[in-house]
Amino acid sequence: MAAAPVRLIRGPASRAFVQHQRRAPVNARIPNRMSADSLIHVQELSKHFRTFKRREGVWGSIQNLFVRDYRTVAAVDRVGFTIERGEMVGYIGPNGAGKSTTIKMLTGILVPTSGEIRINGYVPYRQRRQYVKTIGVVFGQRTQLWWDIAVIESFKLLRRIYDVSQRDFDARMEHFDAILNIRDYLHTPVRKLSLGERMRCDLAAALLHNPPLLFLDEPTIGLDVVAKDHIRQFLRAINREFRTTVLLTTHDLDDIEELCRRIMIIDHGKVLYDGHLAQLKQQLLRTKQIKFALKDRTQAGCLDAFSRDGLEVDQVDELTYRIRFDRVKVSTSGLIRKILDAVDVRDLLIEDEPIEEIIKRIYAGEAHLEVSV
Amino acid sequence: MPTLTPISEKSGIAGLLDAGERHFGLFFDYFSQYAKVRVSYRGDFFISLATSFAATIFALSFVVVLFQKVPQLAGWRFEEVLFLYGFSLIPYGIFNIVSLNLYDFGNNYIIEGKFDRVLLRPISSLFQVLFETFRIESLQEVATGVFCMWWATRHLGLAWTPAKVAMLFFFGLCAGIIYISVFLILSTVSFWFEDRIGVHPPVWNVMAFGRYPLSIYSGMVQFFLCWIIPFGLASFYPSVRMLGRTISPQYAPLVPVVAVVFLTIAISLWNFGTRHYSSTGT
Repeated sequence: MAAAPVRLIRGPASRAFVQHQRRAPVNARIPNRMSADSLIHVQELSKHFRTFKRREGVWGSIQNLFVRDYRTVAAVDRVGFTIERGEMVGYIGPNGAGKSTTIKMLTGILVPTSGEIRINGYVPYRQRRQYVKTIGVVFGQRTQLWWDIAVIESFKLLRRIYDVSQRDFDARMEHFDAILNIRDYLHTPVRKLSLGERMRCDLAAALLHNPPLLFLDEPTIGLDVVAKDHIRQFLRAINREFRTTVLLTTHDLDDIEELCRRIMIIDHGKVLYDGHLAQLKQQLLRTKQIKFALKDRTQAGCLDAFSRDGLEVDQVDELTYRIRFDRVKVSTSGLIRKILDAVDVRDLLIEDEPIEEIIKRIYAGEAHLEVSV
Repeated sequence: MPTLTPISEKSGIAGLLDAGERHFGLFFDYFSQYAKVRVSYRGDFFISLATSFAATIFALSFVVVLFQKVPQLAGWRFEEVLFLYGFSLIPYGIFNIVSLNLYDFGNNYIIEGKFDRVLLRPISSLFQVLFETFRIESLQEVATGVFCMWWATRHLGLAWTPAKVAMLFFFGLCAGIIYISVFLILSTVSFWFEDRIGVHPPVWNVMAFGRYPLSIYSGMVQFFLCWIIPFGLASFYPSVRMLGRTISPQYAPLVPVVAVVFLTIAISLWNFGTRHYSSTGT
């Protein structure tokens, strides 16, 4: 089944949605100091956890009760950024980099150790109850919905919790159904849904109160290609139509490439890169590779000359070779000419280094780049 | 460090009333949500009702057996002890109906990280934890308690005046609040120490002490049951008052005061604890 292109319906259904304009918070206690249009403003944000080394075994756990070796770990270390209204930002990093901790502070779940967060005029952890009415949150690994009962029952309770009028609720449900096709399993208990179905329902649940800001933690984790595509189309659609600001963490770089113009890379609690994806590619995409298949395996010996010139030559399979090179130092066309001169080539392919490789190099500290804010 | 400020929608009394009204309405929504879950597992409900009722009956039969061997307990006759026992089942039942989640709070909400979801909703976190699930079969404890009291008063020749019925409701509620508050206070420990089992079980067993006349215990134990973990205070003095026995000192008027104090401590600790919540790794 191919996912149908997402179109948002105009007309009666859209009345329940208001484009998210800047709205002065009703009860902000601290005067608004940020630029007129930025939605999220984070400064010098840190979160330290005190952990202790756990001893093993029965005796060890008894010891744990009395003596503990505490140490403080900075899960997030003086992070700062600003996100404007209507942006879609990818927040990426390896496991344990501090992504989730950041999201949890931004959503008001965790109280920061130090630093400042202002979102939509609120300080999340201090004005939690008012603030969470203005955000939607989807954790890919955990559902918001009640496990044992029909999806629609969860929606109905959420309607009451978020104080959404029946009229808006009906309109939005109709709308979500049009985009996400959830009607068919609204009356199925959540535990009987597939992961993809559940994720669609979770997205709908997170947007039931029409928040101007949506946080997604691993929204496509474990989904198949079709389901992923559907979710991405939906996110693009709500971002385009309602200017919903989206901040998402992911391990799937396709999510980023398809959704976000801007990415933030975090590791060891620090922001390593904050800027456009295209710019990152341009700065770091220095390595290209040429893959080619030989007509005749006896010519393989001729390739030794390339290795002697300092190029990286790998044999992929019996007849296929790969040469990796720095596009700044080596001209691509020159290299192709050389290859064609040296051997008879049946097929040839020029590739950029996959984005995963770049990210991996950033994590490993090999890629030196300036954090452009 | 950020300063502690109460979280409420509007400030002052108006805000409290507003939030109170909203939460009152939501209580029924949460309850009906729970009911829908229970109905979807029908067999489970009847089995838990039966086992829960059997547990009550077994515990009660101990009192019956005891009084076949001894005529009196520290000057208390069987019917009087039964009345006290019955009364103590009321807060016990209320506590069980409401606080099922507290018993497993550390494990379920803190260690498994379910508390994240609670904090993402624009309503009180304590409200959600208390009312996300119920143990409706514990209504049998309240019913058994009322039955015991009714049976005892009939044999004692005591009449149920409207004033006494009002007293029963009032003290039953106060005692219920005391029980819930004590376990709430114990639950907040989970915000600081990650332990799966928590500190509930020993205190759970202390509840049994509240079912017998305080006068059978030594002074230290009496003090403990009145002012440290006031299960004794909560059930004994109201029962004395309703039975019309003379005893000094009469602490019954202090029961609502203790209830308010414990509830205040519990809620403050809860709010303080939520700021310490450190969530799970992912």
